[in-house]
Amino acid sequence: MTGKMGNRAALVVLVLVLAGIPASIVGYQYWLRPALADHRVVDIAALVPENGGFSPDLIRVGVGETITLRFAADDVAHGIAIGPGLDIDLGQIDPGHVGEVTLTPDSPGVYTYYCNTWCSPNHWRMRGILEVVDPTAAGAVGAPPDPIIEALIAASVDIDAKPQLAEGISPDRPNGEQKLETVEVPPGLLDPTWRLSHTPAEGLVALQAQNPEVADDVLTDVTAYLWSEPTPTVEIKELFAKNCAACHGELGAGDGPAATSTLETPVAFADVAWFRRGDIWYAKIRRGGMGTDMPNFGTLFTIEETRLLVDYLWSLSFGES
Amino acid sequence: MSENQRRPITARRVILLLVVLAVLLVPIPTFHTPHSRDVVIDASQFEYSPPRLNINRGDTVNVTLNASDVVHGFFLDGYEIDSRVEPGISQKFTFTADRSGKFRYRCSVACGPLHPFMIGELVVGPNEPVWRASALAVVAAAAVLLGARKRRMA
Ligand code: HEC
Ligand SMILES: [Cu+2]
Ligand SMILES: [Cu+2]
Repeated sequence: MTGKMGNRAALVVLVLVLAGIPASIVGYQYWLRPALADHRVVDIAALVPENGGFSPDLIRVGVGETITLRFAADDVAHGIAIGPGLDIDLGQIDPGHVGEVTLTPDSPGVYTYYCNTWCSPNHWRMRGILEVVDPTAAGAVGAPPDPIIEALIAASVDIDAKPQLAEGISPDRPNGEQKLETVEVPPGLLDPTWRLSHTPAEGLVALQAQNPEVADDVLTDVTAYLWSEPTPTVEIKELFAKNCAACHGELGAGDGPAATSTLETPVAFADVAWFRRGDIWYAKIRRGGMGTDMPNFGTLFTIEETRLLVDYLWSLSFGES
Repeated sequence: MSENQRRPITARRVILLLVVLAVLLVPIPTFHTPHSRDVVIDASQFEYSPPRLNINRGDTVNVTLNASDVVHGFFLDGYEIDSRVEPGISQKFTFTADRSGKFRYRCSVACGPLHPFMIGELVVGPNEPVWRASALAVVAAAAVLLGARKRRMA
């Protein structure tokens, strides 16, 4: 009689313990911690895109609201960054670990949280949207206008025009730097905005008009120097290494390991640079390709970062200093 | 008589002991001059190519590490080397193979379901334990043979 009751009591305790542990973990995660936090905490599971990517992949937050985002890597190592312009990079997050960030956005906008650790063949599709809405303002928030792309559209320039190969043109950039003082450079070529909407080939024509007595190869070298003048920073090289090199290759030769599986094969930047406009490269990077597997980066990078990337592509094409 | 007989045997034992100690402890001279070796290691899900590296002790090894699909790591036991490689960006590092033996290298970035099995092996030769063991065996055989002959002669 007492033995039976003891058994039953033991069973009850066992069931309580077995059910209680998971219940308290779940309760802490979904009820107690949110209840104790003085602001919203969102848990985001990160999986490779083949298995669903981020969930949730859309988060809305009000202007002035404080929110904590907790990213948990559930399968492989991921890297979490949020852009554009927020400067948030949580670095690599290993499976079983959590990376978190707390922010209080002060103006409406659309941001993207994305993976920046090459975690799977479809890694670059791993993105989620963080929408900052102003509850008092009507209408949806869109991306701010991009003057460079709008100018291209207004002039009906084809961003996807096939590149013209620059065969036999291999400028000697260091020589161009040396010879710069010996030629007369028209003001346009010294203006980054003018250079952005003109090809180096057009720049050469303008230089030739000004310096009819100077040899063409010298002018070619000077042109290459002018287009690739700013020395790339460590940050921009890293941005390229993390986001572009898998397809485009370390030096932009189109020979990255992932280039074998994209729908179109990326060209070597050096092969097409002579006849390319910087604003077309800029637009391609921000908008992406049309069904070519060139991803769009306009929702990840600022306008400034994109322009620096274009500068870096010129450096890769004509040789770094 | 028995005194006289025991003495040479003791001397012999001492010599045998010395030989055994020498075999165990004397450093093996390296017969080649250390030089510099370039190796390329490709990391992919879920293996290294080559899966096994044979290096002579003392060599300086210049490693170029590539990842051909996703981010991988390279952790070399015993040499305290840990590297992370992104597809498209080769990692280069150098170490001196100054410790002989077998060392595992394994992936240190969780890269997928079979990641724990992404393992390779560095073998730095000459493989001293094997050399010493075989030398010991030769010494033992010689001792037995000599002992037997002595007994027969006596
Ligand atoms: C998943 C692979 C992939 C990644 C990652 C990638 N690209 Fe591309 N990219 C391509 C492909 C494929 C093309 C060719 C098709 C096209 O132009 O749309 C291309 C084309 C381009 C072009 C146009 C070249 C020309 O003159 O025709 C530019 C510029 C470019 N990429 C820049 C970048 C930059 C900068 C990054 C990183 C921020 C990047 N790409 C990341 C695959 C990729
Ligand atoms: Cu990822
Ligand atoms: Cu791996």
